[in-house]
Amino acid sequence: MKILTTVKKVVDVELNIHVKDGAIVEDGLQYVINAWDENAVEAAVQLKEKNNAETTLVSLGGGDNADIIRKCYAMGIDEGIHVDDPALAKADSAVYANVLKKVVEKGGYDLVITGKQAQDTDSGQTGIMLAEALGYPCVSNVVSIDVLDDTHIKVSRLGDSGTEIIELALPGVITVSDSINEPRLPAMRGIMMAKKKKIDSMDLAGLGISGAEAGSNALKSEVVEFMASKTRKAGRKFEGDAAKITAEVVGLLATEAKVF
Amino acid sequence: MAKVLVIADIKQGVLKGSTLELLSKARAIGAETAVVAIGNNISSLAADLAKAGSDTQYIADDAGLDLFSAGPYASCVVDAAKQSNADMIWFGFSEGGKAVAPRVAAQLGAACATEITDVTLTNGGIEIVRPAIANKVMQRVKVNTKQLVAVVRAGAFQAVEGNTGKENVVKLAIPAADLKAVIKEIVSDATGEIDLADADIVVSVGRGAKDQAGVNLVKELANDLKAGFGSSRAMVDGGFMAHNKQVGQTGKIVAPTLYMAMGISGAIQHLAGMNGSKVILAVNKDPEAPIFNVADYGIVGDLFEVVPILREELKKIRK
Amino acid sequence: MNPLLMSILLIVALAIFGRTMVQRIQLLMALEPAHRTDRIMDRIKNVAIIALGQKRLVGRKKEFASGLMHAFIFWGFCVLLIRSIMLYGEGFVEGFQLPLFNENFLLGYLYIGLKDIMEGIVLVMAAYAIFRRAVIKPERLHNTWEAYFVLCMIVTLMVSDLLLDGARYNLITLHNNPHNLDFFNNIRYGHEFIWTPVSVAAASLISPLGADATGYILMAMFWLHIITQLTFLNFLPLGKHFHVITSLPNVFLKSLGYPHEKTKVLDLENEAAWEDESLGMNHIHQLTWKQGLDLYTCTECGRCKEVCPAFSTDKPLNLYDFNMDLKHELLDNAGRVIQRKKLALALANEPDEAKKEEIKAQMAGLKSEKALVGDVIQEDTLWACTTCRACEEVCPVTIEHVPRIIAMRQGQTLMAEAYPKELNTALKGLERNGNPWGIGYDKRADWAEGLGVKLMAEDSDVDYLLWVGCAGSFDDRTKKVSVSLVKILQKAGINFAILGTEEKCTGDFARRAGNEMMYQMMAQENIETLNAYKVKKIIAACPHCLNTLKHEYPQLGGNYEVVHHTEFIEGLVRSGKIKLNKTLEGALTYHDPCYLGRYNSVYDQPRSLLSAVSKDGFKELDRHGNESFCCGAGGARMWLEETIGKRINLARAEEIAGKDVATVAVGCPFCLTMVEDGMKELGREEDIKTQDIAELVAKNLA
Repeated sequence: MKILTTVKKVVDVELNIHVKDGAIVEDGLQYVINAWDENAVEAAVQLKEKNNAETTLVSLGGGDNADIIRKCYAMGIDEGIHVDDPALAKADSAVYANVLKKVVEKGGYDLVITGKQAQDTDSGQTGIMLAEALGYPCVSNVVSIDVLDDTHIKVSRLGDSGTEIIELALPGVITVSDSINEPRLPAMRGIMMAKKKKIDSMDLAGLGISGAEAGSNALKSEVVEFMASKTRKAGRKFEGDAAKITAEVVGLLATEAKVF
Repeated sequence: MAKVLVIADIKQGVLKGSTLELLSKARAIGAETAVVAIGNNISSLAADLAKAGSDTQYIADDAGLDLFSAGPYASCVVDAAKQSNADMIWFGFSEGGKAVAPRVAAQLGAACATEITDVTLTNGGIEIVRPAIANKVMQRVKVNTKQLVAVVRAGAFQAVEGNTGKENVVKLAIPAADLKAVIKEIVSDATGEIDLADADIVVSVGRGAKDQAGVNLVKELANDLKAGFGSSRAMVDGGFMAHNKQVGQTGKIVAPTLYMAMGISGAIQHLAGMNGSKVILAVNKDPEAPIFNVADYGIVGDLFEVVPILREELKKIRK
Repeated sequence: MNPLLMSILLIVALAIFGRTMVQRIQLLMALEPAHRTDRIMDRIKNVAIIALGQKRLVGRKKEFASGLMHAFIFWGFCVLLIRSIMLYGEGFVEGFQLPLFNENFLLGYLYIGLKDIMEGIVLVMAAYAIFRRAVIKPERLHNTWEAYFVLCMIVTLMVSDLLLDGARYNLITLHNNPHNLDFFNNIRYGHEFIWTPVSVAAASLISPLGADATGYILMAMFWLHIITQLTFLNFLPLGKHFHVITSLPNVFLKSLGYPHEKTKVLDLENEAAWEDESLGMNHIHQLTWKQGLDLYTCTECGRCKEVCPAFSTDKPLNLYDFNMDLKHELLDNAGRVIQRKKLALALANEPDEAKKEEIKAQMAGLKSEKALVGDVIQEDTLWACTTCRACEEVCPVTIEHVPRIIAMRQGQTLMAEAYPKELNTALKGLERNGNPWGIGYDKRADWAEGLGVKLMAEDSDVDYLLWVGCAGSFDDRTKKVSVSLVKILQKAGINFAILGTEEKCTGDFARRAGNEMMYQMMAQENIETLNAYKVKKIIAACPHCLNTLKHEYPQLGGNYEVVHHTEFIEGLVRSGKIKLNKTLEGALTYHDPCYLGRYNSVYDQPRSLLSAVSKDGFKELDRHGNESFCCGAGGARMWLEETIGKRINLARAEEIAGKDVATVAVGCPFCLTMVEDGMKELGREEDIKTQDIAELVAKNLA
């Protein structure tokens, strides 16, 4: 089975993000692999270990992604493709889906695994749109994968009424939830070997896509402005005799907050 | 005039609150409204759908649509969107919505936005506001296409009662089942308990409750208020609460009118799940607990002492 | 007596002994190198105090009686060495006397008197030892046949020599010396037997016997003594009594400057090391010869087991078994190890590539049949250790247990990729944001907001760098300690700064878990930052940071003068820069952190500060000072769940709670968390407050 995983470089969400003049302040930020894509990579490597799959990753944009790609190599991914181009600077999910479509077609993959969303956009659309573009079946928010045979896999998905068990025909696309696995820490030996591995880098032309297909004209939506999130302010804290303060608070809930 | 198509959120034959919220917002921005309802044995909901504020109801009612399946559901929505000529297609915040919206957008060639908190119609077109980078920033996004498909953040739009629409049912063609993604079964997590996502009041229990006895104590408070009963991650990990009760970044996102955090410290992951609540009440023994940084009303005390008093006082008030 | 018999006995015994010793030494020489020949004078001092002085036995309050017992047996043997030479001489030449120790010198008389009394004492001690083993049965002891056999031999040696002299006495004084035996008789010092009351007492036991019988007894006792001694000699290398020979060298070769062998900095880029699996300890031949000597020297006393926090809370870390299992594995593979070394030397000198591969293949074939970790040592055993060093501190023959554990963990992490995966969250946090909680690095200085603390980035021309540490920066409870520390330093007018967001975890826990890669990454980044700012003096708020900054960073090019905050604050009080009020109410005790006490010998300064603030008095815990009981968080165990046995921190909290105090002081953020959590679990957190010394000082500043 040939598996393709997508890997996006995103800002480290543990950091404070500051907004100035409608844009994000880059100073002091560090960039890491999207957490959900780490789950996707781990899922792919587990399928490689259990079912002998061949694994490839693709990363779009991001500039120098070598460290992230090598980290995935160290986890166990066999090959890596990096597509970068100035035209991808302001891409949206639809553009990414289009570019990825070309990668999938070129490689003839049986299964595409993406993280369910990216930590910078939190959109959760790319994987599903890619499936639509390819005409492949798709299941999102997957929490377990079982290979039935060469043409079918069984997945569980976290839905609104419970866990949905779905049989997916290959070739297909799945997006994975973080509940699916705990991504491994690359071992030293893997890291050593990853240093020597090749990364297949190319721009859009190298992939066979025109700038127009991916450029700003292709954007279905674009971010006009960034704004600081409204932080919730602390209200009032009541300390003292439990009976007294509880009665007081309940009174306020009725009169002030008008909840009751 | 803009036209908004709202996808009705129906769970176990019941119309969920987000439908009213979305329709109210559509009315508020002066748009024409329509809904699409997909499922099995749901035709009887037409009256409720009209009452909620829709002028047209596109209904796909079939046994084959009983279990959620993204492919056929998307086809129905696309069908309704084309028939209604909708400018905007809105989903309530659900796993189903998140799975279907991008398909609809791709098929219609429309822009797609997830978790929008606001939408405005400008001269140039549609603009939405949504959170990004784990809710640390907000984005104002310009839509370049004529149509927009959006998933709306839980509790972002206010429900306004009384804006009844017209009953005008249009039956949709039933799409074929998706043979390439066959749903075999759903392992239900329904317990007959109040759905967290829908409840007006949510009472959540945290590590301060210590054990099953404490959890039961807090549950009685929830029962008194007929509130949704949720949990922090700690109590789920500890085996005291079911997985689907977890409120937080990796669990359920809720935005009730009143959120009561009982014995919850207020870790960032939990806050992400309830920050959108209108009013937050917190009870915690530790005056330095981070939950007090976001609570509108904070009671510093042992929940074992406070909860019984709270129940008494609430009984009095609600008489 | 009988030169021929004597010669035969000596030749045979010494030949066998020599052969055994050569084998043992050959095996050590085939192990990895160790450098232990520096600072000769300090080493001699150690031998004098620890080995000859039996400090860890006699100098320990616990088990003083048994300590004295062994000390006397040891001192007895030391004294009797000279007697042995006299006897061997006597075996060849009758009336043989040593120069200086003969009848013409007072020394000779003093010696035979001393020898006599010592034999009596040793006899009593050996009898007590047998009684102790058989009747009292202390838990730490292993009652093997070997133990009893040797004790019986000791008894035999003493009894035979006493009866020998007793027989001589009787023959000389009772039976008119028919064989014309020699004895001391000096005008000034008198008759030999005035000086040997014990022998005389022994003589009275056999006085009823006639001259002939007494003569036979004399012969019998003489040869019994010689033969027993030569048998004993040959028995030594075979078991735990090898320590009789190896303990003095082992103490001589003890680590100096740092309590045990510092963890080796592994060259992770070295292809050859990956190939022959020598990163960390993966095979028995990777022990150093000093570690091999440690294994030879273990006396199987079980003290290490007794003080081990893991063992006493039912974890499968039994240090006695650990040592024995390694020793047996080493001895079982002696042939292979020695052969492998020969091949390794040949490999080094072989120019031909093809032949090299051949040699490597042969070497690979010489591996033990058992997996070092897995078969010989269990994983649970390896990871249960908190690296507290209680075992090393109490070991009478200065065995260094901990470095072996760290080396095996290195092997497991790097080569076998088998380590507790629970650590991944903490390790990932380290990699990404420089702290085990994975909190954004940009928040590392938030705790100091509004306190007027300088950042090195703003002004690096300061006298001291305050190294806050991850806990002090991110953990809500520990931040209060950091704030207290700042208050004290500012009150004293110290010119200091913090690195703030430029500070990263020192990498201590990663190193203790065997993850050299992560450790080196953290260390190199920190050293680069520190050296760029030309930092000279550091005040460390955490003993783990202290230990790594002070002792391990020099291995990678970071050389700084580092002190713990309690050392520094005590210095401030001594120099008068700050004054303390005796206003802390309620009885007070102190929990010595392992990495402050046993690793860095800081015991007095914390106590001095605590005495200065305590109004109602300071009490010592039973297990205090260098015998303090670990809180359970060291050795990366802070980041691992304790699933086996009782929780270590609970055991310690119970001990503290039993002491009737209002406050327990600590000097380490791990201890602070663990002890406080223990108190919470006991429901005593309201009446017993856990406080860092910095907090207590800050609250009681004049």
